[in-house]
Amino acid sequence: MSTDADIARPQDTSVRIIDADVHNTVGDLTPYLPKVWHERWQRAGLGVGAIHYGNPRGVARRDADPPDGGTPASDPAFLVEDHVRRHAIDYVIFTGAHVIPMGPDPDYGNALAAAHNNCLAEEWLPLSEQFRGSILVNSEDPPAAAAEIRRMGTHPDMVQALMCGPSRAPYGQRQYHPIYEAAVEVGIPVAIHPGTEGSGLAWQPTPVGYPTRYMEWHNILPITFMSQINSLVCEGVFERFPTLTFIGIEGGIGWLVHLMWRMDKNFKALRDTTPWLKRLPSEYIRDHVRLTTQPMEEPERPHQLQQMMEMVHADRTVMFSSDYPHWDGDDPKMALRHMDRDLKHRILAGTAGEVYGLTTKPSTEYAAHPVTRPRSGADQPLSAVE
Amino acid sequence: MTRHRVGMVQDLERSHPLIVSVNGAEIGIYRVRGELVAWRNICPHQGVQVCKGRIAGTRLPSDVYEYAYGRDGEILQCPLHGWEFDLTTGQHLSPGSTARLRRFPVEVDGDAIYIHTRTYSGG
Repeated sequence: MSTDADIARPQDTSVRIIDADVHNTVGDLTPYLPKVWHERWQRAGLGVGAIHYGNPRGVARRDADPPDGGTPASDPAFLVEDHVRRHAIDYVIFTGAHVIPMGPDPDYGNALAAAHNNCLAEEWLPLSEQFRGSILVNSEDPPAAAAEIRRMGTHPDMVQALMCGPSRAPYGQRQYHPIYEAAVEVGIPVAIHPGTEGSGLAWQPTPVGYPTRYMEWHNILPITFMSQINSLVCEGVFERFPTLTFIGIEGGIGWLVHLMWRMDKNFKALRDTTPWLKRLPSEYIRDHVRLTTQPMEEPERPHQLQQMMEMVHADRTVMFSSDYPHWDGDDPKMALRHMDRDLKHRILAGTAGEVYGLTTKPSTEYAAHPVTRPRSGADQPLSAVE
Repeated sequence: MTRHRVGMVQDLERSHPLIVSVNGAEIGIYRVRGELVAWRNICPHQGVQVCKGRIAGTRLPSDVYEYAYGRDGEILQCPLHGWEFDLTTGQHLSPGSTARLRRFPVEVDGDAIYIHTRTYSGG
């Protein structure tokens, strides 16, 4: 006679959910910065001047304040309770409160990147096997960004290099290749994240000028992603670095099919202008570009989401992200509810597991550890505008 | 096959390509590497008269940021869009494309040029 124990299902060891965009707010960077930068950091923060676009209601969701009143996602224990455990997430990929913006002083940008990365590695990553980090880099100083990738890339819990979406020139151009060379060397992908479009030395957020308000700015963020992916493919970055993966975080998805079809059509006519491309542009995209889901498009007819996902080969190109704790975040169950089961699994964990090397279930133990809490004010003047 | 006399080799000296009509189908006759080839004057992409296109060379497949010009006189650029076709094979040069021009057998007998077409067997 069988008992409940006999027929109990073996413990599920497969990774179910990887969240590819969680904005943890690391502590004050002062202890991690050389003394020479302390005053600037405390007075000017990221130092890119005025932010043109901010959510008038604030960027953080209103239900994610830690119990002690700190900034949302600044308390790792509460982040685990409020987000990781609530949604049974296996791994979270931390993307920090902000990317390194395009500021005028490359030395300062480089110092900020290194300080953030050291702080993340010391104060956050040791707390849980479920935590994984992004190496922030100052993309406008490519040799320095490459050096930072090599410095931090050997850390076992750092799973990608992360840079701001906008750039002085399209990211596929040769001056940025040292970044990709370093990433390939240490075996991690390179990601971009919005937020600094129009800030600091960045160009206007659109080729037609400055949008009037935050919503307009946010609506059109995909233009940056289209521009960068277009450049990366046409400049032959994926021919030169055939093992490189490029990740577009929080830039939308639906436009990818248009970009792929348009690029393929033009390539059939203008192939000789990029004679180094040996395949259709869309094939490079399918093999090398990954996008994250949030903010998930919500079509008038929900079933069209599945169609759109099929058009972009989402089983290979799309990874789930929540954007916790931001105002426009997505719930893993709700955002994907109109998709079929196999595709949902690929998006929730399959592709991200391959991209980040996270294919075994982690321990869910959390090691309580004192952390330095961020102060309000100068340490996060550009935090989380997206 | 049916053999159609469509012109003289001297005509090809005066007009290259030589555009002829066989059973209502326009055909462009080219001399490539000393040999004659004949292609239907329709682009498989959007149906324009492909033989109005420029005869050119191309940038050969190369490493990133390297440029190698070659195949001068062997490439036909469609006048609309610029799709490149290999005049020796009819193949569209784009990787990932299976498009090709429709070929007609061509023959020189004496000084005369002949196009061969399939004989309609009726039914």
